[in-house]
Amino acid sequence: MVTDGQDNEQIILATGGYDHTIKLWQTHTGMCHRTMQHSESQVNALEITPDKKLLAAASYQHINMYDLLSNNPNSIVNYEGTSKNVTCVGFNDDGRLMYSGGEDGRVRIWDLRSKNINCSNTFETLPGSGSSLSPINCAALHPNQIELFLGDQNGIIYRWDVRTPLNQQFIPENDVTILDIDISPDGTQMASVNNKGNAYIWNLSSTDIDGKTSLQPRHKFTAHKRAALKCKYSPDSCFLITTSADQTAKIWDTEDYNLQKELKQDSQRWVWDAAWSADSQYVFTASSDSCAKLWNVSKGTMEREYAGHQKAVTALAFRDTVIN
Amino acid sequence: MALYDNKYWLLSHIRNSFISTDDTGMCEVVMVGESKQVKEKFFSQEPFADPDESDEEEDDDETGSYDLQMDAYFGIRDRGATSRAEKLENNTKKPPKMKHIKWEPRNNSTEDNDNGSINDLFVKKEIKPPDKTNKKVVKSGLSALIEKFTHLPLNPYMEFAKFDGSGQVNIPTRKYRIFLTMLPEEQRHYPLPIVCIATAKIQDLVGLTLLKFSTNHSDFVLKPVANYGLYITEEDGEVDSDFPNLDPKECVAKFGFNCLGLVEHKDPPKMVSFDTPEEIPSSPDSSGGKKRTTSSSKAEETKQIKNDKEIMDGHNRAMEAPLYKSYRVHIVNKLRWWNMEVHLGISSDKIEIDPIAQKNTKLQLVKQSPMSHPMDTIAFCEELETRGNKTTFVVVYAAGFGGKSSERNPYPSSFNMPSLQTSPSFKHYDFEAEKDIAEEIVSKINLILNLRTSPCRREYLAAKERKHFMKRKSFRSLK
Repeated sequence: MVTDGQDNEQIILATGGYDHTIKLWQTHTGMCHRTMQHSESQVNALEITPDKKLLAAASYQHINMYDLLSNNPNSIVNYEGTSKNVTCVGFNDDGRLMYSGGEDGRVRIWDLRSKNINCSNTFETLPGSGSSLSPINCAALHPNQIELFLGDQNGIIYRWDVRTPLNQQFIPENDVTILDIDISPDGTQMASVNNKGNAYIWNLSSTDIDGKTSLQPRHKFTAHKRAALKCKYSPDSCFLITTSADQTAKIWDTEDYNLQKELKQDSQRWVWDAAWSADSQYVFTASSDSCAKLWNVSKGTMEREYAGHQKAVTALAFRDTVIN
Repeated sequence: MALYDNKYWLLSHIRNSFISTDDTGMCEVVMVGESKQVKEKFFSQEPFADPDESDEEEDDDETGSYDLQMDAYFGIRDRGATSRAEKLENNTKKPPKMKHIKWEPRNNSTEDNDNGSINDLFVKKEIKPPDKTNKKVVKSGLSALIEKFTHLPLNPYMEFAKFDGSGQVNIPTRKYRIFLTMLPEEQRHYPLPIVCIATAKIQDLVGLTLLKFSTNHSDFVLKPVANYGLYITEEDGEVDSDFPNLDPKECVAKFGFNCLGLVEHKDPPKMVSFDTPEEIPSSPDSSGGKKRTTSSSKAEETKQIKNDKEIMDGHNRAMEAPLYKSYRVHIVNKLRWWNMEVHLGISSDKIEIDPIAQKNTKLQLVKQSPMSHPMDTIAFCEELETRGNKTTFVVVYAAGFGGKSSERNPYPSSFNMPSLQTSPSFKHYDFEAEKDIAEEIVSKINLILNLRTSPCRREYLAAKERKHFMKRKSFRSLK
């Protein structure tokens, strides 16, 4: 039996994509040490619970949970009810809640610990074209744990306090699709990228009496020539990485948003996802050339390659450990 | 007696023996077709009555299963074998313990009650303002690992990781049990299970095997992929050395073997390089001279090869001459104005002439009967003349020696020589055939004749020589 203390020593890298498998990797050798079947559909997003016991895979109509402690190749929990693709999934800090957003235009809050599964909350986007709700592409939880920022296909960013049915909307640019949102771990900045390759940065501040976060536009820049797919702040909030269909990932500083490093490899094709190491020294990327890669941030060089998928790797999840 | 052609027995056998291990679903497909009558038969007291004659003697094996003979062990005599088999199947399949959690929309009526719990659930967390002065330098486990293994030599077989088919569900894969012959005796009998994608080549499978092997046995020094070969292997791990190793360039899907043995070759196969040979650096003059000499020597070489080839061809022809071969030729018949097509069969002991049935029977005024002449009666054979691509040739035979075949010879000889009348009378056939075929036949017959000198042939040759002296004079006196 593995104890909690030992769990935390684990470094977990999980990748998934179009080949209907999820692979776990030995980060330093590049060896795949476990393959899990995800037979029903492709993997849209991956996330590891804060306790490193479960891996959530967002896919078509389902969120599948895999046990990271056993060798069970099949999922152990299946969250149903989304009528279309689940596009994003995440956990709050204590792992009690899971949030998911889907192309059906709804964000769902799942209570993981309580047996009373009714005790969950939902949020609906504004209807897009016609009467159907606008598909949600991304969701990011504010470090204060009560505000979710959602991006939809109509280019609207919603700030939603999960305790209330109220929300606030922002439209940074017309006729675009918001593809990703991230909030810096220190809670001071928010970034969003869209399908035109543009990045928008806001300053966040908690000024109101009721604890509402207010947004002040800070910066706008063209990060990529083609669609930007993901943006992720580093754990020390000093860097932002953006990945793109232009076959690159770029690292920007968070002071002036100048380009620091371009992570590029010929033939790597679309770069779909990225994840930082806990000390912000390394970053993983997932790309369409069926590989995940590890990059050294300061040098901008590729350190390791994780080959074994048969098709594009579109999702990546990583949990690091911190050594004092 | 229940036999393999008894459909009830077969169905029962499938039901009981295979269902518990069948992952293909074929058994279910078979069982879907079970009619009510069949099911009744299953549960009837007399199992596997022959559909036609049910008064046959009973079979001892009542369950029809070779794998699940539960009755014998448990002494339960009911007909519940089927359900037990299904239970067993369920146990082996072990449905994944998957919990399904369905999204349920919130009930408005209970919202008030829930509000409290919602506030419990969503606890606002205060963000500590980042303390810039007292910033601790954190180090991640990943960085530590990477630093520790900076100089880790990368596994040379890493490029083959992409051929790993384990866990793949939607693409064809192949499963192998690979015996590693380089392991010590006691470990050698445990094959390494390898799953690879079906489109991989044998050399990719070798690489993938070495990749897995090198991760399990890091103490082994492994050589490049080209140094290893996969051999067909018995289930017990005994490498079948009668067969060569599987072609490394072939796709794995081409071979149907599941057990393979990885063998290290003592001499790595020489890599065939298609690079152009290095040019000899030399001055233009000398190169011209060199070229000539090389070309002339080359010509000599080819000439030599050609000579050798001709000798071999002649040898081969001589060797093949006594073997039976049939040709399609025409018998030239000067009296009757038309040529009749026949099969001319030549072997070491005889020459056979078989007429081919003519389509136009009206034309066939003379019925040609099959002829056979022992080779000892054949005296002579040579080409006569070539007209266009047709060549006529003559085969001379001794009628007296021919026995029955010569008695009814319909072809009166126009070659009657009085000087030879005392000896066996020599007659001849004139044949016409394509030039190449005629040459082949003549050389074949002469080769056979050279091998065996019959008295008949000697006499004919002697007579021919005598005739040569007499020449036209004797001809004239005849006429």
